[in-house]
Order: sequence, then C-alpha cells, then structure tokens
Amino acid sequence: MVGLQTISSGAFAARSEDGTVRLGLVAPMSGPNARYGAFSMRGAQMAAKEINDAGGVGGRKISVMPGDSQGTPVEGVSATRRLIDQDQVDFIIGDVSSSVTLAMQPVVEDAGVLLLNAASSNPMITYKAGVGGFKWSFRNYPTDENRALLVLQYAAEKKGFTKYAVLSVDSDYGRAAIQFTKKYLPRFKSAIVTEDYYKEGEVDFRSVLSKIRDSGAQAIIMYGNADSSPIVGRQMMEVGIAGKIPLIGNAEFNTASTIKAAPKAMEGAIEAAAWLPAYDSPKSKAFVEKFTAEYREAPNNHAYVHWETVHLLAKAIEQAKSIDREKVRAALSGIKYDSAVGEVTFDDHNQARLPMILLEIEGGKPAIKGAYKAEIDYPK
Amino acid sequence: MFYTIIEQVVNGIVSGSVYAIVAVGMTMIFGVLRAINFAHGEYYMLGTFGAWFAIDYFDLPYPVAVVIGVVATAVIAVVVGNFVMQRIVGAPAEAGVLATLGVALILQNTVILLFGGSYKFFSGGYIEPVSVFGFTLAEQRILIIIVGLVTFVGLELMVTYSRMGKAMRAVSQNIECCAVVGIDVRHIALWTFIVGACLAALSGVLTAPVNVSVYGGMGELITFKTLPIIIMGGLGNVRGTFVAAMILGIAESLVATYVGLQFRDTVGFATLMLVLMWRPHGLFSAQARF
Repeated sequence: MVGLQTISSGAFAARSEDGTVRLGLVAPMSGPNARYGAFSMRGAQMAAKEINDAGGVGGRKISVMPGDSQGTPVEGVSATRRLIDQDQVDFIIGDVSSSVTLAMQPVVEDAGVLLLNAASSNPMITYKAGVGGFKWSFRNYPTDENRALLVLQYAAEKKGFTKYAVLSVDSDYGRAAIQFTKKYLPRFKSAIVTEDYYKEGEVDFRSVLSKIRDSGAQAIIMYGNADSSPIVGRQMMEVGIAGKIPLIGNAEFNTASTIKAAPKAMEGAIEAAAWLPAYDSPKSKAFVEKFTAEYREAPNNHAYVHWETVHLLAKAIEQAKSIDREKVRAALSGIKYDSAVGEVTFDDHNQARLPMILLEIEGGKPAIKGAYKAEIDYPK
Repeated sequence: MFYTIIEQVVNGIVSGSVYAIVAVGMTMIFGVLRAINFAHGEYYMLGTFGAWFAIDYFDLPYPVAVVIGVVATAVIAVVVGNFVMQRIVGAPAEAGVLATLGVALILQNTVILLFGGSYKFFSGGYIEPVSVFGFTLAEQRILIIIVGLVTFVGLELMVTYSRMGKAMRAVSQNIECCAVVGIDVRHIALWTFIVGACLAALSGVLTAPVNVSVYGGMGELITFKTLPIIIMGGLGNVRGTFVAAMILGIAESLVATYVGLQFRDTVGFATLMLVLMWRPHGLFSAQARF
C-alpha cells in the first residue's frame, strides 16, 4: 500500500510545469483491432514529431502517452482513467471504436479533460456533446449520418435519382445507416421502394435482386461488409441489372478485387470516404509520402485522421496561447483549420463540419469526385 | 407476377441443388455412423480452398482445380476417417458430437493459420449469364443443377446395385448382423465418410464461382443449413434429402422475395419445426409417429 502511494505521488511529481503538452491517445493497441491502434499511434506520433521538430506549440513540446482500450468499453474507460489520474494528461484523443468513445465521454466530462475523437462514426457521440450535454467531448471525424446524407445528396443532385432500393447488412451499422438515409429522404424528395437486410455471410442475393429489378429503383443503397460486395455484384450481372442500377453507400465498392469480380456491376457505384491515400491534395500527398518513408507502409484512414487531429489540437493550443483546458476548448470551438480534405470548423454539438470524399467507379477505376459537406439536422 | 414466382422457384431449385449435394453426404454419414457430422461444412470449405489454391498459386484451369479441391479433401478425409470417424462406430452419441465439433474447429483454424483469416477472391468458373426460357442464370448454376442431378442418380444406383452400396444400407440397418455375415463395418464407415466429405467438397468447388468469397469460417453456415434438411429428409434417407433440400431452397427463395431477405435464414428451422410436429421421423420415414 505504501509502495503504491509512493508510485502515485511520484506520478504527481512528474506533472510539473515542465512545459510539455501532455496528450493521451486511447486506441486498441492490442486485441482484434490492434492494427487500427498501431496506425493511430503512428499517425499521432508522426504529427507530434513534426510539431516538436518545428519548435513545438508556443515553445512547448507535445508528448503522446498511449492508453490501450483493447477495443472494449471497459478497458477503454480504465485506460482513460489511468491517463487522467496517473499520467496527468490535459488532452485525450480516442478511441477508434464508437462504443468505447461513448463510454469514455462521461469520464472525461467528470475530470474536465478535453476529449477530441478522431475516428468514431456513431452519430450519438456528438448528439450528446456541446449543446447536447457533454462540454468536453469534440469529434473531428464524419459520422455515419454525414455519410448517409452525403451519399444521398450526391445521388439526388448529381445523378437525379429519386427511387431507391435498400440492401444493407443486418447489423447496427447497416440498419442505422438506412435510418439516417430515411431521415433525409424528404429533403431530396426521394423514396425507398424496397427494403431488405442481409445476414453476414449471406451468399444468395438472386431473389432480392430480381425483386429490385422489377421495383423501378434507380439505385441500390448498400451499407455492408467488404466480402458481400463481390457476391452482390456477380449476381447483379446474372439478373441483368449490372450497369443499369448502380450501388451507392459504403461496402468497399472501390477495392480492386471487388471491381475485378464484377466490373459491369460496380460501374457507376458511389461511395463516400473520410479520407483515402489516393486523395489528390498537396497536403494529403505529402502526408502519404512522409508516412510511407517513415514506416515503410502506406498509411490507412486511421493513421491519417490521428495525424490530422494532433495538428488540429496543436493549432487550437497555439491560438489559445496556453495549455489551459478551458481556453483550448474555446479556441477549438471557434477554430478554422485547413485539413488535407478541406476546411474544418465545429458546430454547436462540437462536431466537426467535415467534407467527405465522394468516389464513383468509372471505367473500372475509382474516380474521386471531390469533397462535399452537408449540414446535419440534430434531433430536437 | 406469375413470371416472378416462376423465376423465384428456379432460383430456389438452384440453391436447393447446392444444399442437396452437401446434405446427401451428411445424411449418408449419419446412416452408417449414427453421428451427425458437425464438421461437414468444413469439407465444403476445404474443397473450395483446394480449388482456390490451385487457381491462385498455380494458375490452373477451373476443371483441374475442381479435381484438385475434391482430391485434397479426400486425402484429409482419409486421415480424419482413420483417426476419428472409425472410432465413432458403436460409441455413445455424445462422442460423435464432441469429436466432429472438435474436428470442425481444428480444420477451420488450420486453414486460417495457413492462409490467413481474410476473405479470398475465387476467380475461376463460368460466370457469364445465359438466358434459359427467358430467365437469366450464370452458366455455372446450370452446371450445378446438372451435377446435382447426376450425383443423385449415381448415388441411387450405387446404393441400390453396388456391393458397397448394399453394405452401406446393411450397416445403417443393423451393425451386429453385418458383423455376423462378414461385412467389415469399420471399412464401410470409412468409405462412407470419404464419399460424404468428397460430395461436400464438390459442392463447395461448384458454388465457389458464384459465391466468390472464400474464407476459413465459410463452412459453419453450410453445416447449419444442412442440419434441418437431413432431419426433414429423414436421417439417412438419400431420396428424402433431395426433396427436403429442394423444398428448403424454394421456400427460402420465396421468403426472401415476398417477406424479406432478413428472414431467409429462419426458414430452414421454421420449416423443420412444422415438419417435425407433423412427422417426427422426417417427411419420408415409414414411421409417422413413435
């Protein structure tokens, strides 16, 4: 017991005014999603190194302290507590998984530590933040609602579609995405004509695809897993709707193996992404190049968002001219930050107004159709 | 409207043919070993992986890959048959359940260890759609229906006329009497198991081109689709299995169209419950009730 106290008072002593910015990073460092955690950590560390090499923020160096959530809410909460109580961090970035982030929110709220999420997509996180309740939670990542809205907006405005068939995975993700799509259907005077959900591992879509063929739908809204897309694509070719009714939504339509499996069906498929390595902006290209040189591996989405979010936080600290949490929070609320995909500002729910990149498969290759944003309707 | 129904029935017959080829192996194994082979879907997976391996690593044409997939599975089945399945003969029912579940876990995870857990892409087969009586189908599906029919006719002939087939029927009726008249029960059990596993593998290789994704866990779903079919068909009954597979295929197809795709997987067990309430020994059993 005495030993424990010595250790913890030692930890307190470490929290001197040594002038560093103490930044916690909660991510799945072990467990099934460990790969995402590793990418997140590398992205964040690369950003911290860049900032420190350039002299730090207002003369302060950033030190990134990892906390392992293992991808589960229980571990995520204890990692957050450890970062706050022992490592004495002022700011936390995390987690990747939405359920972990949701569990972390009340913890940081009690401690008054600023949480800036960089990779969770569940809309609830920022429904409950800002004017919604939690004052210390921010998110710099597009939500599933953003995605559903932007895909629908693009399909309606650029393609002139008004009638849709739904074929989504029967999971929280697949069903929620359709819920959000339905919320915005009236905005685009559109309707859903058939609605089906498939179980993970389903291999026979012929019945439902023939039904869609006869329903008069102009596009199929699909939110699902990467493994179902090639099967759906091939069976679309079989029932004769490939090239006539495109797939829209998110299910890795633009990966090379999916396109190769059913080139005719994937033609015209529309997908929205937060970021992807092929995105053509000078800042994005420079990031990909530097990350690949540093780690001998191309960055994924998680590496990018954590890299960008550390830079965003650094800018807020610089504008606040202090590491005082309240001042940084105020600076973050009013920030105008130029990210690799476009300008970032926060709404009154502490949710970043972020552009998403829209992709359309053209001639067997994903073509980037630009970055779009849209305003979310919060529930009253 | 009428056209849609016919089209969905055709779709159902296609999926029914796949179920039938897998299920017939499982029901034969049950007949002889008195054990439900919970690893049955794994042989379906092994066949698919064998063919995928041949195409992806050695660039072999699809027909050769089919043979390689089935032969590779046969080799594994010989090993499993000798070490596990033969010992189940005459053992209590729980031994069979545990042993086959164990084999399922080992096979599945060995494949995942060797090839990784990610989804693989199966590139062989004949996937061009063709038009038959106004319906469009991939050529591969027509092949599946034909192979399904040939398999069943072949099995019927074998079970009725060949010495091995007669011995299989004898073993499924009375093990002690077989021993008395000099039928090598363990030998018959081994061969039945190998034939059953090969049929599952064949079904896997035939459906791979239309199902596209190949992964270690793909067998599980097949096992659980097959289970209600063999019970409905009357455990051990080859002809009954064929009819039950077709009923399930068509019922699933109609439910997916008129009720919703999300209810498709409930069809098998719902139909099974209804059938069992009416005929507890399956649709084609001589005994209607205990």
